[in-house]
Amino acid sequence: MLRCCSIIAALLLFLTAAAQPAQAAKDGPDPIVVKDPLYGEVLFYFYQEDYFPAIVHLLAAQNKWRVAEQSDQAEPFEYAEQAELLLGGLFLSYGHHLEAADIFERLLADNVDTEIRDRTWFFLAKIWLQRGYLDESQTALSNLSEDLPQNLWREAQMLQSQIYINSGQYDRAITLLQDWKGKTEWASYAKFNLGVALVRSGRVNEAKEILNELGDLNPFNDELTSLRDKANLALGYSLLQDGQPLAAKAPLQRVRLEGPFSNKALLGVGWADAEIENYRRALVPWMELRGRDLLDSAVQESMLAIPYALAKLDSISQAADHYLNAIEAFYEETNRIDRTIGFIESGDIFEEFLSDDPLDSTGWYWRLEELPQGPEARYLYHLLATHEFQEGLKNYRDLNYLQENLDRWRQNINVYTNMLETRLEAYAERLPRVEDALARADLDGMVDRKLELDSLLNNIEQSNDWLALASKQEFEMWGEITGLENTPALSANIPEADEVRDKVLLLKGVLQWELERDFKDRLWRLRRDVRKTGEALVETQRSRRKIDDTMRSEPLRFDDMSARVYGLGPRIDGMTFRVDGAMSEQRAFLQSIAVGELQAQKQRLDVYTVQARFALAAIYDIAATVGDASE
Amino acid sequence: MDTEAGSRTEFRSLDEDVQDLKKEVLDLNRDLFLLEEELLFPANSQVAFFISMDVGEYFEVDSVNLKIDGKEVANYLYTEREAGALVRGGVHRVHMANLKTGDHELIAVFTGTGPHTRDYRRGATMTFKKGIGAKYMELEITDRVKKQQPEFVIKEWE
Repeated sequence: MLRCCSIIAALLLFLTAAAQPAQAAKDGPDPIVVKDPLYGEVLFYFYQEDYFPAIVHLLAAQNKWRVAEQSDQAEPFEYAEQAELLLGGLFLSYGHHLEAADIFERLLADNVDTEIRDRTWFFLAKIWLQRGYLDESQTALSNLSEDLPQNLWREAQMLQSQIYINSGQYDRAITLLQDWKGKTEWASYAKFNLGVALVRSGRVNEAKEILNELGDLNPFNDELTSLRDKANLALGYSLLQDGQPLAAKAPLQRVRLEGPFSNKALLGVGWADAEIENYRRALVPWMELRGRDLLDSAVQESMLAIPYALAKLDSISQAADHYLNAIEAFYEETNRIDRTIGFIESGDIFEEFLSDDPLDSTGWYWRLEELPQGPEARYLYHLLATHEFQEGLKNYRDLNYLQENLDRWRQNINVYTNMLETRLEAYAERLPRVEDALARADLDGMVDRKLELDSLLNNIEQSNDWLALASKQEFEMWGEITGLENTPALSANIPEADEVRDKVLLLKGVLQWELERDFKDRLWRLRRDVRKTGEALVETQRSRRKIDDTMRSEPLRFDDMSARVYGLGPRIDGMTFRVDGAMSEQRAFLQSIAVGELQAQKQRLDVYTVQARFALAAIYDIAATVGDASE
Repeated sequence: MDTEAGSRTEFRSLDEDVQDLKKEVLDLNRDLFLLEEELLFPANSQVAFFISMDVGEYFEVDSVNLKIDGKEVANYLYTEREAGALVRGGVHRVHMANLKTGDHELIAVFTGTGPHTRDYRRGATMTFKKGIGAKYMELEITDRVKKQQPEFVIKEWE
């Protein structure tokens, strides 16, 4: 049967699916041809993106193949290496990247197609960078060959520059990015990263040129528009810090009015005007910010900037009103943050992250699509945009999956324990009956009788003893005839006796003739029956041996099963304990990130409140001084 | 910056713990899965029935009904996701049974959408011999290109 499955198909399939799951599902590659139902079963789960059961089935199948090989029941599994590679792919899809890398390092040797090897290392590099494993990501990138397809090569360069930037090697990032050619989307990202690396290494003027170029590009999709906004914002603020408020306005005004960077840009435009003492114009963008979400630090700052400008414009009483409003708003916001911190510390929020958690939605590609409902959701919005929180949440969900999986097994193992005990009881009950029946069956005696029959038939054949094969009736008849033959009356010399003697001889002759005629046929039938009996006896002996084997092996099998059933229970309990512990640690980690973020916001609000109070006090002072003077 | 670095280190340490735990739970699941199978379906009586598809141009499977020795043992309805996985080369274990050694009759009835998007229902029957070891039966849906019709084949694996 066996249709051949190529390693290339298996890996390309997983890599394609890894790159674009939705597209791969729709237009997927050619179907994989399986060579073992167990292998095909793994693919059945894999194609449904149920990675956990797919891995478990593959590990179990590998175990069966190994056992079959060791017991010489089967040829070595021809596709063992492919199965191992598929396992690597499944581990990767499941987010089990370290184990996946072990397999790939072992198997992706020179004999594997370069393209597959490159793609695999590329995806590993990407995943490791996302998880903050910079050294591992660097190693994976070093394993790439020069034959990497162009589109992936560009992205690989980008990953490399990101590793340099994240590890503070700005000069290496600059060297890598400054010669970037082309006008693709990647070229824009390269420019942005170059700008970031230049700013961080203190080469602000060079960075300005790059960011200005990027901030002026004509974007053809949302991602580029967002990148353009980001570049303009970075440029605008660096110009502001450099004391060039007029120059800063142009890039800041290029940022979209509605977007993730618009608040900060509006604030910056206002400060640019304020820097040149055009407070009236500065109020325009700041007033726009007033109606926006107070969670944003730019909006919070604008609440202080507005009264500052009003004061500068001598609208003292309006300025005082705005400071009072700001203090009130900051107070309310601080209370809301405190409530949210309480909610996060209670741990309830994590239940909401899991509440709509179908068991199969684990693995690498999971993303939180919707925030939990409630007033705290708005505080978590940008927390969730960070890799660390997302990855931590992903781990938390995976641990929850493991916990539920272990719970299910704990229930099952109890059932199996009962089942095993019932079987042991039934076996112990039946065993004496079987032993009794076996003791009564004299198989050796039957074999001896069969051999005696063989010998008897041989003797009959050799002596041509046709009478020995006569039926009971024929034998009786033969006895009667020979009896009559020897009757003294028949010896008399009279005609009647002659007549009867002739008749007796005729009868004897006919019977003998018939017995001799049927002798061979009767002998053949008897031999056939004896042979069949012999075959049945052999079969019975075989069954007997099997029963003896089973009686010997069954207690051992029960011992083995018991050891496994009773051994697995504590393993489940131990593992559950560790998973519970890891969940608590993961939860504490996520809580510390979230609470830390909220505490930072609270501190910022405290600082703004102090500034507002101080400014208000100054206004009251001025007002009092003016009042005193007028009196 | 220090806090960030500390947080990154903490994340990595936790991530490594989670990775270790995942591996151990997966290994435990493998052991439990094998134990469950050996306990519920010992090798000398085990028969597993699988459904697979080759190409699948002329048939979209909706459900499969299995009868062994005249007794219905499985009636499985496929979701779109599962049917898609079959088309792409996945093999579905639809039923496991314990059968005595000797001859047995298997009847499989497939329903779904056939050529020209018409409702399609077709059966396949075979007698198979159960020996001493575990046995796999694969019910394969293939395309018969000449007739532009699906074909249902039952294969035996020892």
